[in-house]
Amino acid sequence: MGIKRGVSLYSYQQEEWFGRMTWREELKEVATNLDGATGIEIISEATIPHFPFPGEEFYQEWNFEMARWGLEAVTMDVFPDPLMFRRDHVMNEREQAERLKMELRIAKKMGFKNLRVLGSEIKTVALALPLAEELDIRINQEIHFPSGIRRGKGQFGGKTMDILEYIEKTGTKHYGFHPDFGIFKKGPSPMYIEYYFRTAGEEHWKEKSADFIEHFNASTNEEELTKWVMDTYPNVFNDPMILEMEFKKASAQAEDLKLIAPYIYCCHGKFYQMTEIPGKPGEYEEVSLDYENPIRVLKEIGYEGYIDSEYEGQRNQQDRGLEFMADEIEEVRRHHKMMKRLIGE
Amino acid sequence: MYDSFLIRSDSLENFEENGKVAGFKFSVRIANYRGCFLGLHNGYYCEVDGVSYPREAQRLAVNGKPPRSFEELMKHAVLEHWDMQDEAFLYVYKEGGLEKGTHRVGILESILGAYGSSPRDEEYVKNPPDPSLGIGTGKTSVVCYYDLELQG
Repeated sequence: MGIKRGVSLYSYQQEEWFGRMTWREELKEVATNLDGATGIEIISEATIPHFPFPGEEFYQEWNFEMARWGLEAVTMDVFPDPLMFRRDHVMNEREQAERLKMELRIAKKMGFKNLRVLGSEIKTVALALPLAEELDIRINQEIHFPSGIRRGKGQFGGKTMDILEYIEKTGTKHYGFHPDFGIFKKGPSPMYIEYYFRTAGEEHWKEKSADFIEHFNASTNEEELTKWVMDTYPNVFNDPMILEMEFKKASAQAEDLKLIAPYIYCCHGKFYQMTEIPGKPGEYEEVSLDYENPIRVLKEIGYEGYIDSEYEGQRNQQDRGLEFMADEIEEVRRHHKMMKRLIGE
Repeated sequence: MYDSFLIRSDSLENFEENGKVAGFKFSVRIANYRGCFLGLHNGYYCEVDGVSYPREAQRLAVNGKPPRSFEELMKHAVLEHWDMQDEAFLYVYKEGGLEKGTHRVGILESILGAYGSSPRDEEYVKNPPDPSLGIGTGKTSVVCYYDLELQG
């Protein structure tokens, strides 16, 4: 046993959007080209045709294809869309729980063991828990950047700790966590920074991006860095949200995982770009995220669940022609080479 | 996302109603990674040759059905999904349609799907935000422009 590797089909969103791959080809890719990956994660409405009414044939075909390739249905990601009934009202708690229950029933038919929620409140999840227990599917709160794990100033883990208290108080085995590796940020992703410079219409965006990253990595003072950036590149980083996201350092530390260790049921191996490690042909790294320490900690705590690749670099390479777009298949393959190395398979 | 690909370049045409040219239409794709329930679709900021056309002048033809207004989608397409892979057509009413030649079309979608509740939800139910405000733009937050040759 040990940590298992899987893929969220979200990673292949661009291939799907352009009609070059369907979920069937994606399952085959995961099963045959990732050297032992066995897990599949989906976003329900992205993968299931005519969601939420795909017809029985879809479920049969899905289960057949999963069995054919020897794959395990790990996690289904769902969204609450509280404005679904906006024609007359905002969804109330009970309606949000009903939407969750609908997703649980669909997940069961597709063999999934986990549901990933992000914005759902504890009281909503609590209303859906009896059905989750009956179907034996866990509802897991994603811990997504800029959220964190610990409570306290500069820690961003308030909701995580509230859920932990709820789990420990009730003893439920069907509510847990789904940390996303995006919380273990090391620095800016060069690919992202290049995108900001490029779409702001800056010439020499590659050089300017490199200059930005050099300053970022050398800086120990967030305020000084922000001032330098605002003075030097006022047209590029004028969106407060970009500033907030790009200037925040990691929102959690690898060791924080120990706090929620028994309740981690799945992880997102978020990544933006895999690049070859200098001097090591065929070996890859994600320079903007810490993978080594979180994987070390997951091993220490005896985690035997999945890390599912969640590739998200494609959207910041779509501002130019098709020839400049990311190769999602290659990125995921590289990601699995890295995970395999770090897990020590 | 997909900024250069949201409208198919050979899709701009005039359309007729009751034997008269009533407006123009072009293809649209969703700018996100999951599709949406159509009741959440709040229309487009739509600009052609510098003139903007309000949501009330727009209809969406999707899922093989005739063009529907965004009001109708909100009321009656609560559980009808627009899948990520599917092309739709935006119909825009403009008496006489567009003239022959190339037109500069800009669009920005407003889809009110969400990860969770927002303090503005109640307000959006009472007064759906105008698509020009840039709310619900998915992963494309700027107006995307296309130079399209009128077909037919």
